[in-house]
Amino acid sequence: MNEGNSKREILTPRERFGLLLIDENPDRCNIIPLITSHAAHIARIPLSKYYTDGKAMAQAQIIALEEYRHDALSFFSEVGIIAEAMGSDFDYPDDDLPVLKTPALTKRSLSSIDIPDPKNDKRLPVYLEALEYAYATVGDKIPLLAYVPAPFTTGMMLSVPNTFLIQTIRHPDLVHDIMKICLQAAIEFCYHIINAGGLPIIVDPLASSSVISPKAYEEFALPYERKLIDFLHRYDLDIILHICGETEPILELLPNTGADLISLDKVDISLALDKLSKKMRIVGNFDTSKIAFSSPSEIEKEAKEMVRKGMVSSKGYIPSTGCEVPIRTPIENVKAFINSSKEIAWYWD
Amino acid sequence: MYKDPKPKKITMDEWSVRFKNIDNKTIKKFVYYNNHDWGLYLQPPATFMVYGTRELRRLRFDNSLAALRMWGFVFNESERLFRARQSGKKIVATMGDLGTVSIIVMAFPDCIPFYPECIWWTPFFNESTVLLDLASELGAPEAACFSRAALAAFVKKAYFPKPDYIFASTGATCDDYSCIMQSIEHLGYDFMWLEVPLRRSPAKHVSMDSLVKTKNGFEYPRRFEEYLIKEYEKVWQKMVEITGIDDQNLLMVSIKKANQVRTLVEKIKRTTYQAGNAPFPALELMTIEFGNLYGYADMDEWIRILEMIYETIVERTKKNIGIISEDAIPIAWVNPTADPYLLDYVERIGLRVVDTEYVINQALVEIDEQIEPFRALAQSFMQASLIGSTAQRISSINKAMRTGKIEGILITNMLGGSHCAMETKLMERLLKDKPVLAIDVPAPFGITEQIKTRLQAFAEVLHERRK
Repeated sequence: MNEGNSKREILTPRERFGLLLIDENPDRCNIIPLITSHAAHIARIPLSKYYTDGKAMAQAQIIALEEYRHDALSFFSEVGIIAEAMGSDFDYPDDDLPVLKTPALTKRSLSSIDIPDPKNDKRLPVYLEALEYAYATVGDKIPLLAYVPAPFTTGMMLSVPNTFLIQTIRHPDLVHDIMKICLQAAIEFCYHIINAGGLPIIVDPLASSSVISPKAYEEFALPYERKLIDFLHRYDLDIILHICGETEPILELLPNTGADLISLDKVDISLALDKLSKKMRIVGNFDTSKIAFSSPSEIEKEAKEMVRKGMVSSKGYIPSTGCEVPIRTPIENVKAFINSSKEIAWYWD
Repeated sequence: MYKDPKPKKITMDEWSVRFKNIDNKTIKKFVYYNNHDWGLYLQPPATFMVYGTRELRRLRFDNSLAALRMWGFVFNESERLFRARQSGKKIVATMGDLGTVSIIVMAFPDCIPFYPECIWWTPFFNESTVLLDLASELGAPEAACFSRAALAAFVKKAYFPKPDYIFASTGATCDDYSCIMQSIEHLGYDFMWLEVPLRRSPAKHVSMDSLVKTKNGFEYPRRFEEYLIKEYEKVWQKMVEITGIDDQNLLMVSIKKANQVRTLVEKIKRTTYQAGNAPFPALELMTIEFGNLYGYADMDEWIRILEMIYETIVERTKKNIGIISEDAIPIAWVNPTADPYLLDYVERIGLRVVDTEYVINQALVEIDEQIEPFRALAQSFMQASLIGSTAQRISSINKAMRTGKIEGILITNMLGGSHCAMETKLMERLLKDKPVLAIDVPAPFGITEQIKTRLQAFAEVLHERRK
C-alpha cells in the first residue's frame, strides 16, 4: 500500500475515510478517483459483462484496487439504471455502456410506472450483488461507494431528454410529478444499498449547468436532491453529491442540498474552495480529458498542484477526478494521478 | 412515537424495515453529551454496517427501541470520543483495572475516561484482522490476548483520539495486557503505572497483618487496602495536575453516579435472569454489563439508556413474554466472549445465559458512600470475586449450580489471557462434577462448524440431563 511515496501508510482506506467523516485529519487525504467502468478495462472483461453481472463488477473493482491502491471502490456504470428499472429500454453494446433506446414515458403514462424493486428489477440487483460480494471480500478495509442517480437525472432518462427539458418550462407540474416518483425510486434503491453495506453517493450529472439553468436546478433538481439526502441523514450517513459538468453558476446553491461532501467537475477548484469549503468537504476535480490523454509526467505535475490547493480546505478534501475516469485511460496515467497525489497529500508527519 | 412490537430477536435487515417506522422526532430525541448538533446516535445496525461493522449481518438483535438505542450509542463510541476532544474535553485512557480508576477520572469536569482494551471486540464486529495483524507486527504476537488490538489502535489513531493521559494498572490484572500496556508506553504516551494487589488471605506467620473481611466472605490483609488507597491518591493528584481542580466532593458525586449504574445493571440482570421467560438477549446483557466500566464515554446518557432498558425488561417480565424459547436451559457464562456471535448463537440452540463472570466483577460491586471515598473505592475493588483465587472467582457460579439455578457452565477462553490459558483448567477441576464446556474463541470470522457442533452437543447433553 505504499507506492509512489516514502511514507508508510498506517491506515486502511476505511479508517482514513472514517477520520475524514468525523472532521479529523487522517494520515493523508483519501484519494478517490472515480474508477467506475474503467475497472472493467483493468480487469479485461467486456463492459457488457461488467454491468450485467454483479460478481464480475465487484471482481473488476477489486482488481482495480489491487492495481491502483486508491481509497474507495465505485460501483457504477451509467446513470440510467433506475430509469431502466422503471421501464425505459436500453441497448447493451458488447463493449460499451448501455444506451437509452426507448424512454418509459414514450410508451406509458406516468401513473402506470411503479417504484422498482431493487432486488428484482432489471440491473439494480446487479449493483446489490456487486456490493454484497465486495463487502464480504474487502469491506473491512475500504469503503464501498454506490452511485445512485438523483431524481432529476433519472427523470430525464424516463423521457426523451429534449422533451423533458421543454416540460420544465411548459409543464412544471408534470416534471414535479416525475420527480416525486423518481425520488421514491431512489430512496428505495438507497435503502437496499445501505443494507448491502454500500454508502450511497448521489449523482446528478444532468442537473449540471451544462444542461440546465441555475433557476431550473433550483426548482427541479435541488429540492429532490435535498429530500433524498434528508432520507439518508436519518441513517446518519455522510453523503457525497456528485455533479459533473459545469457547476460554477450553482456553487452557492450546493450547500442547500444538505450534502456533506460535494464532488465537482468543471469549476475552478480555488473558487469552489472559497465558496464551499467551510460548509462542505470538497471532492475533485482533475480534468478527465487530461487523465485520459496527457502524459504521466504532465498528470503528476497538475495533480500535485490541485492537491496542494485542495488541502487548505478546512473541512477536508478528497483528491479525485472531476468525473469518471474514462474507460480506456492508460493505467500509467491513473497511477500517475494516484501516486503523485499520495506523495504530497499528507496531514501527518 | 415508536411502539415496541412483540419481543423477538431480529436480523439487521428486519431492523432496517422497522427503522422506516421511526419518526425523525424520535431519532432527534436521543443525543450524547446533550449536543443536538452532532450528538445523534439512534441508528439501525445497517448504518454501522456501512461503516464496516460486518458481523452485524450475522447477528440477531432485540427488537425494542431501548435495545436499538443502546446499540446506536455503543457503536457510536469512537465518534463520541473524537467529538469529546473536538469540544475541548480531556480524554483519559484508564487501562487494566477495569472499573475503578475511571470513577476517579470521571470526577473531574469535562474529563472522559475510556478503556482502550475494550477495542478487543472491534476485530470481531468488523470481521477483520487489520488491528490484530498490526499488533503482531508491533510485537504483540498471535498468541497474545485479542486485547492486543488496543496497541494497533494507539498507533493508528483512528479509533480514539490520542489520550491526554494514560493510567495503566498492573498486578492483579491481565498479564498479556500488562505487556501490551508496556508496548503502548513505549510509543511515547504520557503514562502513570499503578499496581492493584491480588487478594489473598494474610500469611499466618505474619502476625502484624490485620484482616479485612468482605461482605461476601473474602479476606485480605489491611495493608493491601492502604496500598490501593495510596495508588488511587496518586491518580487523583495527577488529575489535579492536569485539570487544576481539586475538590473531593466531586469524587463523591462520581461514586454516586457509578453506584447508580451499578444498581441499575444489577436490577436489570436480576430481573432478566430470574424471569420465567428471558426478557432480553445475552449479547445485549453483556454489552450492558461492560457499560459499568465507563458508560461508553458518556455516563449520563448511559444511565438514561439503562433506565429505558430496565423499563422494557420489567414490562416484558410482567407480561411473561420472552425473546427465546421458554424451555431454554439456564447456563452460566465465564469470561466475556471476544466474538459476540457466540452469545447470539447459544440462544439459537436452546441455551439461556442466567449468570456471568465476565472478568469485570470489580465494576459491579456497590461502593460504600458513607466512608472516605478512596477507601470506599479500594474496598469495592478488593471485594470483587475476580481479584482473588479461582475458587473465589467461580464461587457464586458454583453456588448457583448447587441450587439448580444453572444447569451448565460455558467457559469461553480468551486466547493468551492468563484468566483463560491457565485458569480454565483450574476452573474445570473445581467444577468437575458439573457439565462444563470450555472453548477457545478463535480469531475473527473463525467460528467454525466444529465449534458450533461442540456447542450443539453441549446443549443436547444439558437437555438430556433434564429427562
